[in-house]
Amino acid sequence: MSPSQISDYALLPITIPPIPSYPHQTTHTLYLRPHAPKIPTPNDARSLFLVNLPIDSTTASLRSLFTSLVGAGKFEDCSFEHERVRKPLPAPANGSKKRKRADDDTEEEIELPRTWDRDLRRSGSSAVVLLVDEKSVELVLKTVRKLHKKGRGGWPVWESEGSTGSQRYRLHHTLSFPDPKILQANIDTFMSAFNDREESRKREERKGRQVPDEDGFVTVMRGGRTGPARAEEVERKRAEMEERERKKRGEMGDFYRFQMRERRKEVQGEMVRRFEEDRRRVEGMRRERGRFRPES
Amino acid sequence: MTQLPSKRRKLGHTPSAELTQEDESENVYDAQSAEESADEVAIPQSKQAALRPKHSQAIDDAALYAGGSYKSSLFKLQVDELLAEVQPNYEKRLTGVNEALRKLKTFIEEVEDCDPVSVTEATKSLLKSHKITIPFPDPKPDRNAAYKLMYSRPSNINVVGSYALKTMVKTEGSLSIDMVLVMPSAIFQEKDYLNYRYFYKRAYYLACLAAGLQEKVEDEFVLAFEYLHGNSLQPILVVKPKSDSKKSNKSYDIRIIPAVPSGTFAESKLRPDKNAIRPKDNHSEQSSLLPPTPFYNATLQSDCNIEPYLKLQHAAAKQSTGFKDACILGRVWLGQRGFSSRLSDGGFGQFEWAALTALLMKGGGPKGHSVLSPSYSSYQMFKALLQYLSINDLASKPVCFEIENMLTAKSNLPMAYDGSRGQNLLFKMTAWSYALLRDEARTSLEMLNDATFDQFESTFIIMSSQQLQRYDCSLNISSTPKQVETNSYDHATKERIFAMRMFDVLHEGLMDRVKLVNVQLPSTNSWSLKSSSTPPQEPLLISFVFDPANIDRLVDHGPSAEEKKKAAKFQKFWGEKAELRRFKDGSILESLVWSPGSAHAVFREIVTYLVTCHFGAEFSNSLEFVGEGFEKLLPGGTSSKNFEALKQAFSTLQNQIKDLEGLPLQLRQLSAISPQLRYSSIETPIFTFTQPMIRPADILIQFEGSGRWPDDIVAIQRTKIAFLLKIGALLQEVDGTVVIRVGLENEDHQLQNSAFLDIICGSGAVFRLRIHNDREQTLLERHIKDKSSNHREREDAVSALSMYKKTFLQLPLLNQSISTHCTRFPLLSSTMRLVKMWFNRHMLSRHVSEELIELIVARTFLHPYPWRAPSSTMTGFLRTLSFISRWDWRQKPLVVDFTGTMTTKDVDSVNTRLEAWRKIDPSMNRTVLIAASNHDITGTAFTDSGPSKMVAARMTALARSACKLVKEKGRDLDHRALFASSTADYNFIVHISPKFTGTQPGKNSKPKFKNLEVQGGADIEMIGLQPVEQYLQELEKLYTDSIVFFHGGVGSNVIAGLWNPQKAAPRQFKVNLAYATKPSKHEDGEADEVVIDKAAILAEIARLGGDMVSRIEVQH
Repeated sequence: MSPSQISDYALLPITIPPIPSYPHQTTHTLYLRPHAPKIPTPNDARSLFLVNLPIDSTTASLRSLFTSLVGAGKFEDCSFEHERVRKPLPAPANGSKKRKRADDDTEEEIELPRTWDRDLRRSGSSAVVLLVDEKSVELVLKTVRKLHKKGRGGWPVWESEGSTGSQRYRLHHTLSFPDPKILQANIDTFMSAFNDREESRKREERKGRQVPDEDGFVTVMRGGRTGPARAEEVERKRAEMEERERKKRGEMGDFYRFQMRERRKEVQGEMVRRFEEDRRRVEGMRRERGRFRPES
Repeated sequence: MTQLPSKRRKLGHTPSAELTQEDESENVYDAQSAEESADEVAIPQSKQAALRPKHSQAIDDAALYAGGSYKSSLFKLQVDELLAEVQPNYEKRLTGVNEALRKLKTFIEEVEDCDPVSVTEATKSLLKSHKITIPFPDPKPDRNAAYKLMYSRPSNINVVGSYALKTMVKTEGSLSIDMVLVMPSAIFQEKDYLNYRYFYKRAYYLACLAAGLQEKVEDEFVLAFEYLHGNSLQPILVVKPKSDSKKSNKSYDIRIIPAVPSGTFAESKLRPDKNAIRPKDNHSEQSSLLPPTPFYNATLQSDCNIEPYLKLQHAAAKQSTGFKDACILGRVWLGQRGFSSRLSDGGFGQFEWAALTALLMKGGGPKGHSVLSPSYSSYQMFKALLQYLSINDLASKPVCFEIENMLTAKSNLPMAYDGSRGQNLLFKMTAWSYALLRDEARTSLEMLNDATFDQFESTFIIMSSQQLQRYDCSLNISSTPKQVETNSYDHATKERIFAMRMFDVLHEGLMDRVKLVNVQLPSTNSWSLKSSSTPPQEPLLISFVFDPANIDRLVDHGPSAEEKKKAAKFQKFWGEKAELRRFKDGSILESLVWSPGSAHAVFREIVTYLVTCHFGAEFSNSLEFVGEGFEKLLPGGTSSKNFEALKQAFSTLQNQIKDLEGLPLQLRQLSAISPQLRYSSIETPIFTFTQPMIRPADILIQFEGSGRWPDDIVAIQRTKIAFLLKIGALLQEVDGTVVIRVGLENEDHQLQNSAFLDIICGSGAVFRLRIHNDREQTLLERHIKDKSSNHREREDAVSALSMYKKTFLQLPLLNQSISTHCTRFPLLSSTMRLVKMWFNRHMLSRHVSEELIELIVARTFLHPYPWRAPSSTMTGFLRTLSFISRWDWRQKPLVVDFTGTMTTKDVDSVNTRLEAWRKIDPSMNRTVLIAASNHDITGTAFTDSGPSKMVAARMTALARSACKLVKEKGRDLDHRALFASSTADYNFIVHISPKFTGTQPGKNSKPKFKNLEVQGGADIEMIGLQPVEQYLQELEKLYTDSIVFFHGGVGSNVIAGLWNPQKAAPRQFKVNLAYATKPSKHEDGEADEVVIDKAAILAEIARLGGDMVSRIEVQH
């Protein structure tokens, strides 16, 4: 009998049907348990934590998996490990005021158009599945236990969704070249949002230089009276200063006798060091046999 | 006494300074003066130390503090190691030799004298009594000769040569010890030097000795005849100890060489300009009118001079402490270049080296001054001799020692005439071997003067004489004509005469097309006492080094029609091929016109014609050319026409963009970063008006700096997209035929470049344009330094920065350098392509970046030592492979200096970096290869993303086995064998359906993917589509830690995979294992360990591959 549990995870083997290029029926093992993150969230009680997902897992394929396991209507949503939270493109600047404030809070980024029809999951990755209620969680675990007891067979069959093979890559190729108008609109939105954000940050900074904090200190910010300087300008200025400093030192380099003496000593020390290094290297080479034997 | 050395040094210094002036090189002077001062310091205290080489470190230390500049300390240390390594342990390796020699001596002394007998009698009696055939040279002696042959006890027996001088060098085979038997002068007469008489007597003497020894030594030794140095005038007796135990490392042989006391024959009669072989029908007394027989004369003299030369060398060794080691260095150097005293190996070996060195310590310079100073160190002496050899042309200006200048006939043979011993030291050399020796000397000297890089390996370790690595083309001639006419009276075998004729014809006919012509005479072997010597069976081998600038010239200009004499000579040489032509500049010249073709084709046509013309048609059919096969492997041939066309298209585009009005910022420059734009892509770019290129060529655009770029990396990436859209629109406005598309990339990496612009020109050329903005670097660096960001973000920034540096900083520089050098070295392009193909065929191309391969190949051309830059694809390819096989990447970086501006300090700093990497990452999990150039001191620009240690080791192993094959097969090598790869080592193979492997486009102008119904404009949609490549990229991302994938690039129909062995063992279950697992089987129902689920992963790979994968094969 195959094991039904590993540490506190229940095992859920799923059947992978054979395909012509790999004509073997295989089993892919999912590990699942009630979701219990370190930082609790309100939905934990009705969530399941899944480990070792197939690479082609999608919300749809998980939905159908759970449907075949516990019937339709229990699956609500799922979120995958490392998944970037994608939000639909915000509507073009209409009710701008409201949105702007929202931006300031969440620093939401506007995504470029997508180029893949679906994302793949890294091998062995995990996901959190949100079911409709706590009972469903119980039901899933119970069903899995039951299946284990029944012995072999009866495991849900994996249904891969989405395009594969050449179709997938051709589609990606087409999606990689979005309509220029859409692209332009996307960038315009991004840039105006970005500019707004920059603007407000600058305002904050300007405000910051006048308002003392609770301890009564005024934070010194970069830039002069006219406004905060750009980071690059600060960097350039510093490089300039360093350059000037170095020049100053360089001009007076061999003025005193002790300077020359020191330099000579330095050169000599350098040579000793190099010689020692060479000797060490040759020593190392000698350890490999045949290094000094002419090839034949 | 104490004053003497310093005086001598002063004397010696002058010629050394002269030498360096001639060379016009500062380096030599520095190195020499440094070494000299080293010696100065060392002499007083090192009497004892010199006896024990291990203690030489004391000298070095002293030199270090006293001498100041000590550029070559690494080189010197390595030379010391070499000297210690090559010298056999005389006591251990040659135990029993002295005893054997003593025994032999006693035996020889016991051999009974023979009374004088006639030639016929001698032959008969020896055959009858001992079954020994007398090794008479050709022509055999006259049966009715009046003189008598005899044997009497040798007047002296002596051990000479490197054993006596203790300058032996370990070799693969057995060590030879030379034992000289001085024949009593009583058995010779004054006139015996004439007409081979001496050599007949000598042969009989040797045969008698063999007969006498045969029975006595039967139990311990085996006897055989051999020609000394392959010279058929000088048979010798080789005594080999019977190996009682199978210890091959103790093998040695004793060569018994008959000699005569010096002065037996008059030196004046045996000078190089004298004749000693009189024609039979000519009895006139005027021998001075007969053509001279220098080879014969010198051979005779060399028999007289064995002992005098031993004395000379002894004296030299006593006089100079560096002499012996200089001889050993010379011997190693010659050996690695295939030279030895044997006639078949050029006739310049350790003896000639040592004797010449000894003579040059006495004279040879202007006004009889010495060229070498006895106070030179061994290395200085070695180098000075190389310099002497390379500067002086001893063929046109013979050198004479201790004798007034002699008048000699003009000849293409070199001469170093030793007056006091009356012998031309270089008599065994031929015109070609001398040219080769000088070329090698020149190359080595240049190499030793290169102070930036360590040249120790190239000088002494690498075997540079391997046929296929050394020569661009080899010509096998399997049959020699029965009779070769000659107007020389001198002694020479038929093969030698034929070789000389052949050389003269080819040398004259090929003109400046070739840099070197070398003829390899078949070597002779030893033969048993009972048989007669057998003529060699090997074919004659003629090798060529091309001059790439001239080799494929189609029209040769001869003398003008007005120069009647020259024109007649030209016509006679070229036969009916010579024709009179009128050229554009109005001149009327004799000329030759060859049919157009590749370098090899033109070359073959000329050689075949020359041989037919001068040796007959039936003979030219037996010619067999080796060397062309390699470049035939390249798709689209070696022509750079397609590359040029693309470059042309690029510069057109460049002008168009420059002239664009309304660009948002001032344009700074456009740069190319595609292998297709630097002559190095395996497939040449093919495009026409109707059929655009399949793979876009990457280019970059950079604008003048502006403060208006946003101060945020993501925002910069987006702004770049807006710019691209703008550029595209502007381009389309000015040129209606251009099609443009903005594409997205790196969707998972926000910090990296996120878009490009595909420009499909009307001509069919396709470019992929990206914007270079130097702000990115500062912003990324700030990201990395930013302590507040989390680890993952920083990693992202690090990889983005590395991508940025590679794409926007390093690639343009590399592209520039490579394409410049492709015009400088015409063979660089095809070599890079062929080496890339080799990596592809062995499925390493995903791991070893194209740029890294280009650097490796560039090294073969820019740091070609011990050879010159390759002049054929074959030599370029094989030398590159041999470098890879030798490259100890654990300890040594690859450094390529494109501009010749790197200093020792730069190279050192690369070394230091490598050492630092090894210290922080000794198991080499991150950085394995360090490949630096003058553009990139870090050496990781193109090796950051691979190869891993495993792949690098595989690369080395594959190169090694390839080199082994090349060495074993020699000129019989089937070049295809080097490209055949096996998939047996991989765990599983994913077979790609043939529809998707992508055949070479353009040939039949069919689209790349036949399944995609492409019509008209739809072609453009498919540009840049590489489904298999995309599939692989995804697989690599999905299974980063668990599988290593191998693929042979475009056109390959398999993807191979190896499971990471570290992930094979069952392990404790945890959440983030990064690969698919299943519970490992346990007896009881519960399990706590999991193991990699290979079946599930393979099923995933198959699912993802869909229609592209035809089959997955699990091997083990």
